[in-house]
Amino acid sequence: MSDFVAKKGVKNLQHKDEKLITTHCCYCGMQCGMHIRVHKRTGEVRGVEPRYDWPVTMGKMCPKGVTAYQTIEHEDRIKKPLIKKNGKFVEASWKEALDVIEKNYKGLQSEYGKDALSVFGGVSMTNEKCYLVGKYARVALGTRYIDYNGRFCMSSAAGGFIRTFGVDRGSTLPWPELEHSDCFFMAGSNTAECHPTSIQWFWKAKDKGAKMIVVDPRETPTARVADVHLDLKPGTDSALANGMMHILVKEGYVDEAYVQERCNNYEQLIEQVAQFTPEYTAEKTGISVEKILKAAHIFGRSKRSVVMFARGVEQQSKGVDNVALYSSMSLLKGHIGKFASGVATFTGQGNGQGGREHGQKSDLLPGYRKLTDPEAVKYISSVWGIDPEEMPKPGVSAYEMFDEIQKGNIRAMHVICSNPAVSAPNTEYIWDGFKKLDFLVVSDFFLSETAEYADVVLPATSWAEDEGTTTNIEGRVIRIRKVREPYGDSKTDWEIMSEIAKRMGKGKYFDYKNVSEIFEEFRIATKGGKADYYGVTYDKIDEQDGVFWPCPSEDHPGTPTMFKERFATEDGKANLAIVDWREPGEIPTEDYPHILTTGRVVYHYLTGNQTRRVDFLMEQCPMPYVEMHPELASQYNFQNGDFCKLTTRRSSMTVEVKLTKAIREDTVFIPYHWGKELSVNQLTNPCLDPISRMPEFKVCAVKIQKVAKYEMPSPI
Amino acid sequence: MNKIMYLEFERCIGCRACQAACRECGDHDAKERNYVEYVDFMESRQTYPMLCMQCKDPACARVCPANAIQITEEGVVLSAMEEKCIGCRNCTFGCPFGIPKFDFEENKMYKCDMCYDRSKHDIAPMCASVCPSDAIRFIDYDEMMQLRRKRTQMNLVEGKKPQEGNKWEYVPEFFGVYSD
Repeated sequence: MSDFVAKKGVKNLQHKDEKLITTHCCYCGMQCGMHIRVHKRTGEVRGVEPRYDWPVTMGKMCPKGVTAYQTIEHEDRIKKPLIKKNGKFVEASWKEALDVIEKNYKGLQSEYGKDALSVFGGVSMTNEKCYLVGKYARVALGTRYIDYNGRFCMSSAAGGFIRTFGVDRGSTLPWPELEHSDCFFMAGSNTAECHPTSIQWFWKAKDKGAKMIVVDPRETPTARVADVHLDLKPGTDSALANGMMHILVKEGYVDEAYVQERCNNYEQLIEQVAQFTPEYTAEKTGISVEKILKAAHIFGRSKRSVVMFARGVEQQSKGVDNVALYSSMSLLKGHIGKFASGVATFTGQGNGQGGREHGQKSDLLPGYRKLTDPEAVKYISSVWGIDPEEMPKPGVSAYEMFDEIQKGNIRAMHVICSNPAVSAPNTEYIWDGFKKLDFLVVSDFFLSETAEYADVVLPATSWAEDEGTTTNIEGRVIRIRKVREPYGDSKTDWEIMSEIAKRMGKGKYFDYKNVSEIFEEFRIATKGGKADYYGVTYDKIDEQDGVFWPCPSEDHPGTPTMFKERFATEDGKANLAIVDWREPGEIPTEDYPHILTTGRVVYHYLTGNQTRRVDFLMEQCPMPYVEMHPELASQYNFQNGDFCKLTTRRSSMTVEVKLTKAIREDTVFIPYHWGKELSVNQLTNPCLDPISRMPEFKVCAVKIQKVAKYEMPSPI
Repeated sequence: MNKIMYLEFERCIGCRACQAACRECGDHDAKERNYVEYVDFMESRQTYPMLCMQCKDPACARVCPANAIQITEEGVVLSAMEEKCIGCRNCTFGCPFGIPKFDFEENKMYKCDMCYDRSKHDIAPMCASVCPSDAIRFIDYDEMMQLRRKRTQMNLVEGKKPQEGNKWEYVPEFFGVYSD
């Protein structure tokens, strides 16, 4: 029978012979609190139990969270290092694998220079590991070429926040405050499917009379419950935001005192938005004038509004502009730095926030320090114990690394916790790049599509076999705990990087015995930086249910609400965005007459490398499909279940048609969690944002054709 | 137990976390006993969860010739007892909501038992515990009555008036076990 443990007055079911290990989900930025059930004697992972006392999610989990533990002891886990011989992987010892890596790395560097190597990181890892990836690239390998998959995810939000507020923290307010807001303006976020456990806060607020405005070309489960659904044409967010601000200015909804005191550029903004009348905005965005006015009036009259956005507005060639413009809407209302108000972006990956702050970006050092700043280089060099002269110069962004491969400048790559063979745009170009590399190493715990191109695959541990911290959607630093011993011969990423560093003659810089030692160094490295974690300690995280950065000293409680008194810009004032309207990288033409957009389904996470191996999730959504409005379908005589060939200027793919009126007539949608022939990123446009270098995943021009019969390839 | 399962269909986001969680309940043999359906995918994303109503006078138990479907003292209608079940599947035909299912490989019936090992101790069933949008809630009778009143008020505020033939639109969809 069962007995119970109580924590903070909340009961949990505890099964006989089992212990509950308190940790967080491995998937999205919500980082839902959960207990993992582990057999006391054998250490076997048995299941999951909700964690009712976690203040952000209170026991709530989405289907991915409920089944996340099933990947830990999954039979597909890589148990031993794999070395490719004659085109096939054979199991090897760690020594053999590291010998091959050492030989190739040293050989290539002696022939082509240090920058012949590159590192492609990820942000589904702890802060400690993310920090170490930057150090590993710059100190152990000595290369300038490092970037990470956050470039395909969060970089536009980062760029927009830095431009507007001077610092990039994904949310200016803690999530439980959402309950007290009275208006949510959500752009390009299908929260119900991508961050489901957030939804409870919106309902709580709606119960008190809050209104919700959702901007999305599809009537997603999020848009379905909105008070106003602005079904815009993909890629026209900047026109909509300018149009909204036009009405706020014209109808006197602006908090003049706040704007005068705390913002720059107001006069220019008034000039800028003057042309964006509701009629002009409607023409550009495809939304009706009535809806635009209704949304602006709801937002304008709100007392505590939260402007939220996600990849829909960020994964565009003008993602930074979009973020800055939507943030400016909130500034005009004077709603930043106040209770239950502010701006937030939904973090896609588990540690999308922390992972981008600590030196995985090509131009950044830990603590959000700039690699172009000599003082920053000097400080980090002193923490790392190297000569500032040794610090490599800034490299290039994730997609541009593949240009460098084509040019022959990058000869080898180490991919850590990432799967760019599926997640990058224009994937055929990426696949070609992997083939051109002299040497590719992949660290992962499942054989991903990228790992299939590798020369050496190193078995890394899963999230449940290591410990450390991550930073969730709110900017709250939380603790991930070890659930079980490493599976098979797998090692943690920090151990792998330390081993390779030793082989490269840099062992003394990576002499860590445990994660705590990395964390202590990491705290010092971030000290004084914009993302200051110095005051965060493991104990404080436990005591306070997480610590919000910036937390500059050990007696500092952290900063749940940002910008209460001043912004992080030089003059302390926010910069209102002065951005004119411009078209997306591709617009429909006669040859490619429709718009293709991409997104997630609730059952899968990123490239699906983990979720496609979980039975329940695969049963719910085994294959990609194309969502199409019946009006558009009738032009091509499509019925539900027919096969459709979609072609863009880059490639083509064939998928099944799913008819629904919950999408614009001019737009089709395909989810992106599958690889190879099923990867929609074969089609997407690698046109980059000029600042964030974010590719334009969300908009491209597409041609559709009916296909008589098609054999779908295996989704795994 | 003096709690009920309270459902608000409008809140359902179709994530099926309730189904995934149902599989996690200790006695459920990794099989879900609840379901999520689309109202009409062609028209909208509206989905709704489908759980056992835990009827006071359950048809499944009434039609069971072997008396294999037990009702606990709290009113929870359990799956058929293996030792009594004769595999006739009358329960699957008898239930107006299609809740009992029959496992032909194992030759046994299974249905939602409100995670009895949890709910008898006032711990929410797995589906209600995890439901990210609070579409499924495990609440007490008074809270349910409060929610019903609030819903009626909101309907009035929003100008919705109950009319003959559509009364179900204005009645909160709740069911569950509560003692008189």
